[in-house]
Amino acid sequence: METFLYKLFYDTGALIDGWHAAANAAGAARGWPPLVVDILFQLGWAVAAALFLALNALFIIWFERKVAAKMQLRRGPNRVGPFGLLQTLADTGKLLIKEDIIPTAADRPVFRAAPFVVLAATVLLFVVLPFGKGLIPADLNIGVVYFLAISGISVIGILSGGWASNNKYSLMGGMRSAAQIVSYEVPGVLVVLSVAMLAGSLKMGDIVRAQPSYGYALLQPVGFILFLIASNAEINRGPFDLPEADSELVSGFVTEYSAMRFAFFFLAEYTNLFLAGAFATTLFLGGWRGPLLPPVVWFLLKSYIVVFVLIWIRWTFPRLRVDHLMEFSWKVLLPLALLNLLVTAVLVKVL
Amino acid sequence: MSDPTTPTGGRASPATAQASAGTSDEFLLNVGPQHPATHGVLRVVVTMDGEVVKDLQPHLGYVHRGLEKLFENRTYEQIIPFTDRTDYLSAIANNWAYVMAVEKLLGMEVPKKVEYIRVLMAELNRINSHLLWLAAYGLDMGAFTPFLYAFRDREEINTMIEEASGGRLTTNYFRIGGFIHDLPPAFFPRLKKFLGRFGRAVDELDTLLVENAIFVARTRGVGIISRERAISYGMSGPCLRASDAPLDLRREAPYSIYGSLEFEIPAGRNGDTWDRSWVRIEEMRQSLRILRQAMDGFPEGEHRVRAPRNIEPPAGEVYSAVEGPRGEVGFYVVSDGTRKPYRVKMRKPSFSNFSALPEIMRGLKIADLVAVMGSLDLVVPEIDR
Amino acid sequence: MQAPLAPRGIALVLSGLASLGKGLWITFSAMFRKSITVSYPEKRVVLPLRFRGRLVMPIDPDKGDNRCTACMRCVKVCPNHSIDIDKASGPDGKPLSKPASYRYNLGTCIFCNLCVETCPFFAIVMSDEHELATADPSRLVIDLAAEKYRLQGKKGSWWQKKFRGTGEEA
Repeated sequence: METFLYKLFYDTGALIDGWHAAANAAGAARGWPPLVVDILFQLGWAVAAALFLALNALFIIWFERKVAAKMQLRRGPNRVGPFGLLQTLADTGKLLIKEDIIPTAADRPVFRAAPFVVLAATVLLFVVLPFGKGLIPADLNIGVVYFLAISGISVIGILSGGWASNNKYSLMGGMRSAAQIVSYEVPGVLVVLSVAMLAGSLKMGDIVRAQPSYGYALLQPVGFILFLIASNAEINRGPFDLPEADSELVSGFVTEYSAMRFAFFFLAEYTNLFLAGAFATTLFLGGWRGPLLPPVVWFLLKSYIVVFVLIWIRWTFPRLRVDHLMEFSWKVLLPLALLNLLVTAVLVKVL
Repeated sequence: MSDPTTPTGGRASPATAQASAGTSDEFLLNVGPQHPATHGVLRVVVTMDGEVVKDLQPHLGYVHRGLEKLFENRTYEQIIPFTDRTDYLSAIANNWAYVMAVEKLLGMEVPKKVEYIRVLMAELNRINSHLLWLAAYGLDMGAFTPFLYAFRDREEINTMIEEASGGRLTTNYFRIGGFIHDLPPAFFPRLKKFLGRFGRAVDELDTLLVENAIFVARTRGVGIISRERAISYGMSGPCLRASDAPLDLRREAPYSIYGSLEFEIPAGRNGDTWDRSWVRIEEMRQSLRILRQAMDGFPEGEHRVRAPRNIEPPAGEVYSAVEGPRGEVGFYVVSDGTRKPYRVKMRKPSFSNFSALPEIMRGLKIADLVAVMGSLDLVVPEIDR
Repeated sequence: MQAPLAPRGIALVLSGLASLGKGLWITFSAMFRKSITVSYPEKRVVLPLRFRGRLVMPIDPDKGDNRCTACMRCVKVCPNHSIDIDKASGPDGKPLSKPASYRYNLGTCIFCNLCVETCPFFAIVMSDEHELATADPSRLVIDLAAEKYRLQGKKGSWWQKKFRGTGEEA
């Protein structure tokens, strides 16, 4: 079963390794340093990631709108394209032709940079995402640490956006959002640490392979739920979307952003939604493992199931007030995460 | 303290006010006329010290249409469509209060069937209004789904009312002496179906929003007003009943056939926001009871008393009030013997309920403003008339 | 009846979690119910008979003309003064019991139905037309007498039964 088609679907990593080795040989034959070939390959990965990001945004926004509509006894988008699939394209087109307004007294360079900082944090996370067997742009041996570190970069973008808008309320919203993200990272880190402890490695690929067939979710139920809640809060969604709520007094850090800059913030948010699902899958649900279907399909399927759960939570619950939000993180999630870590450590040592 | 003739109430704009405010942390927050959470065109200027509200100044009048002056130039039957529009969510209650006042002036007795139809319509209207309150309040709280569930139920009620009167929101159904049309033949089958379904729908909305842990955390213990203070502000309706004061016009001063109907008055314990929400949910359940009784005991008869073409009540004055969804809706009609009233004064529950807002909000955090304003169930056209 | 007491301690935590679970179940089960959307404009809601749409002065099929006698009762009763009638005059200058023009201001009409109720001749009816938006304000003042509206469908037969006295209130 070593046919090209089989390898393409079921063992893409090996296929790409083969191409890489061949490219290396060809490069060596021409006298190029191996670095050049590596850079070209990484460029290829970057293009693939960008393509995936765009298609994913298209799909996931449609998915959220349709699921939300079904829960609310409505139909959702159904006019643009079959089943309304091209609705996101239409909305993007609308945003492209909107007037780009920058407030007069805004800090222009920072104002312009903020959406890209947030988007950069999101895109950089694709580097350690195991899409399939060996199908990972770079299986860093500190994969987990990289993931946790990069997810903190978005805070810089949010604070910059709030500050640069020169709007009292944007600043407050930005600070609230930053505080929320930082607070919910702590239990998140502890839970991920428990998983790394179970797997015995920080490499994403190893974590996926070390999991039993049913994933770590059954071994670490508390951890799984904590991770879902923490990711939900980190992506500013669901019951934790106070910083961007429109019926609250402070409209949030995106108030002054219009047209495509606004679109970038929301592209980042929806891609973060997918990433939350993807990392939950990788760490707890067995990543790309599963019988019969190609690994990529399993990965996407499991990710979108987690995304569905996050959408489900968002459209069911009211919003948490900001002080409840902080209290919940520090007084409920953190002790539970520490307890989880303790129990995991003890059991790993004993068993 | 503030000068109502200038747009900012005599205060300087927020920028300079911050410089001149007493403490360095005090600043003014303008919850402007255009805001998704104020349920209408209402302006509230909040003096804040950090996150805590120190004082609250409401600025009314954005929806003032001069209705009471308008009524002095309209005949008694021409006023009825306008009473719909004072509080568009409880059009029936407003119709009824006004029509009852004029009938009292004329000394007119209406047939039993008319009373039964009035009770049916009023209770359907109460459920309608509470459903919309729940929908909008959920939206303010960030729960988007109860909005659509509530509107699906509202649609059924609106269809019933529309088949009877021709209008869904501004019904203009009541007339002096009864109704212009009798209930359509499709009304009772629809009502029966609705009564069979709605009990479960209320439970669903209750579980989804009011019993939800996040909602409870946001509303329990928030926005308390004590029983004495609530009565002294003239509050009425669910806002008053939530403060452990089970006072309902339908019990205290029964009008129409309410004296012979069995229903309970739900009352809260603490007078906080959660109690106000709970009371409204329970009132919907009690309205279902009343609807069943009214449907079962529905008599035969005429749907109107033939009123004279020109309604000219003898000179005199009368105040009559009904228990609307928001509280006591009263009309004080002064007649001078001509075809147009001399004065019509409207007593609106939202005005009195709203006057308690500064006291409720003092000391609370700004994040609670949305929760408290939503729980008071304000309809701004009613406040401004 | 009084509000229930708040649960405390462990009961609070358990009831809170239970409420979250029940809420999730409600929204999940709603996904499998039929949607309540009516796909406008392909499908439309069936309007009830007494629906108060735009005012029209229909042509009486027996008379071949409208039933208005220009008695001015609708003009007097309209709360917003949305109706204006010019009485027609015959060739000798004497006024006829017919309107020369019946100007109805759609912009100020509040659709209250008082004019229809007060007309003793069933000359005017509130039709089913509710898609009335226009970008041209001059189109909001309509001469109903010149419009020669034909009232069709259920509303038409209901109206005819009313002035013939053959139908009951439906």
